[in-house]
Amino acid sequence: MKADVVFKPLRELGPLLESRKLSPVELTEHFLERLERFGPRYNAVVTVMREHALLQARRAEGDIATGRYRGPLHGIPYGAKDLLATAGAPTTWGAAPYRTQRFDFDATVVRRLEEAGAVLVAKLSMIELAGGMGYRQPTASFTGPCINPWDANAWTGGSSSGSGAAVSSGLVPFAIGSETWGSILSPAGYCGLAGLRPTYGRVSRYGAMALCWSLDKLGPLAQTADDCGLVLDAIAGPDPMDPTASPRPYRYETLDRKSFRFGRIRGVTDGCEEAVVENFTRSLGVLGKFATIEEVALPDLPYEQITRTILQVEASSAFEDLIGSGGIAGLTAPEDRYTPYARDAILAKDYLKAVRLRAVMAREIDRVLERYDALVAPGRINEAPVLGQEFRSAIGATAKDAMGAIGNGAGLPAVCVPNGFGVRGLPTSIQFMGRAWEENTVLAAARAYQSLTDWHTRHPRLARAGEAC
Amino acid sequence: MIQAAKPDPEADALFEIVRARYGDRLTPAQLDELRKIVAGQLEAARALRAVALANADEPMQPFAPYRNEP
Repeated sequence: MKADVVFKPLRELGPLLESRKLSPVELTEHFLERLERFGPRYNAVVTVMREHALLQARRAEGDIATGRYRGPLHGIPYGAKDLLATAGAPTTWGAAPYRTQRFDFDATVVRRLEEAGAVLVAKLSMIELAGGMGYRQPTASFTGPCINPWDANAWTGGSSSGSGAAVSSGLVPFAIGSETWGSILSPAGYCGLAGLRPTYGRVSRYGAMALCWSLDKLGPLAQTADDCGLVLDAIAGPDPMDPTASPRPYRYETLDRKSFRFGRIRGVTDGCEEAVVENFTRSLGVLGKFATIEEVALPDLPYEQITRTILQVEASSAFEDLIGSGGIAGLTAPEDRYTPYARDAILAKDYLKAVRLRAVMAREIDRVLERYDALVAPGRINEAPVLGQEFRSAIGATAKDAMGAIGNGAGLPAVCVPNGFGVRGLPTSIQFMGRAWEENTVLAAARAYQSLTDWHTRHPRLARAGEAC
Repeated sequence: MIQAAKPDPEADALFEIVRARYGDRLTPAQLDELRKIVAGQLEAARALRAVALANADEPMQPFAPYRNEP
């Protein structure tokens, strides 16, 4: 197996598999070896699905050999955040109290990827309970803090931590993550990847751990925005098992547009690290080659408070048993063992005010977005946090994140892609957030940006294919 | 000179709910932190309460009456 398959985009791997220049079984073996060898280095993996994966890979090989090629994911290995139910393996939700939990069915996303011919090679590590208990530092998973492949002293971000580490270090070509507020964009941004948060309801949540029923979304992390589109095409669509899954059909469209119109929220870089601001400013210069960019002022609403209140109350209700019984004492992060108790003091009337204001927020932001293809902003305010230290977060009210609060509160799609490096040599990112159901527009914008930059072609030195294989 | 925090009876009352329910599981240090978290939650609630809404401003939640039919 040639090492250069490791960071190859799906767009390039697919034709090699279809033309039988590359064997799904060999490809799967190669990534299984990488997962077993390097997964522990990054605390990225909960379960390697060796037997299951080889079974799926052999089936893919047979199908392709007999002319039954299913499309661009056929024969491609991938990893799933360990909050997606998979028959035949534990589904731990990243949390010690659930480390032996098993389901006898596959989540809809896992089933759809199987139908597309993709090969599930690993369940990937995550922040315990997707971060819903209020964690403030990286050591909040029973598998340990997830280590950033760019720097052994840095965190990957969370809560889809293993998904970020595994794709960034070339252990899988793509991974599925989930986002309630920041859990796809954070690890994608900190690990130098493309990450797509789809519109709420675009992808079925059936079989995924519920943290917040009205905020949870599932989406891909991959090497490029284009790859994210290929994965979304396979996993999107209605599902009778999830009443919030939209009946709107979705097909990934790759028609390249010549021009875009972007908005930039006034003050969107306030609180960002200097290097993040510099890289974002340089990115605007790149975008200026094919787009107009206008500064926009948002209506004065308590965006972070709206989404935070909804998140805290829904998460508290979803884990009522664990919290009420004192079972949270078995969680890994010390703060997760008691801070959820405070949420009993959020009044129902205040929660409902947040839910009513969410509707106002959704209307107001749509009014802004109807004039643009996307709002652009830094993907993260900083380089990846250092391991062993508390980080700033909008969920914890120690940082501002209007884009995240609005995007998640209103259920809007966003994609982030790398746009440079900070002073510590860690990736920074830019995000494109669009109107509801406009994944194709934000993906087209991100593709246009990536067509003029090469940040996505750079990979962590430790895991560079030539050294590692 | 350090100024004492302004009394906030609502924050105190909300914190007492937490203490009454879970106090026997918590250390003094954890209780102190929970008091601060409750105060932060109340600050957020006050920001929400400060925005006026009309009677017609409904939550954006899908609810449909359920009837099991084949």
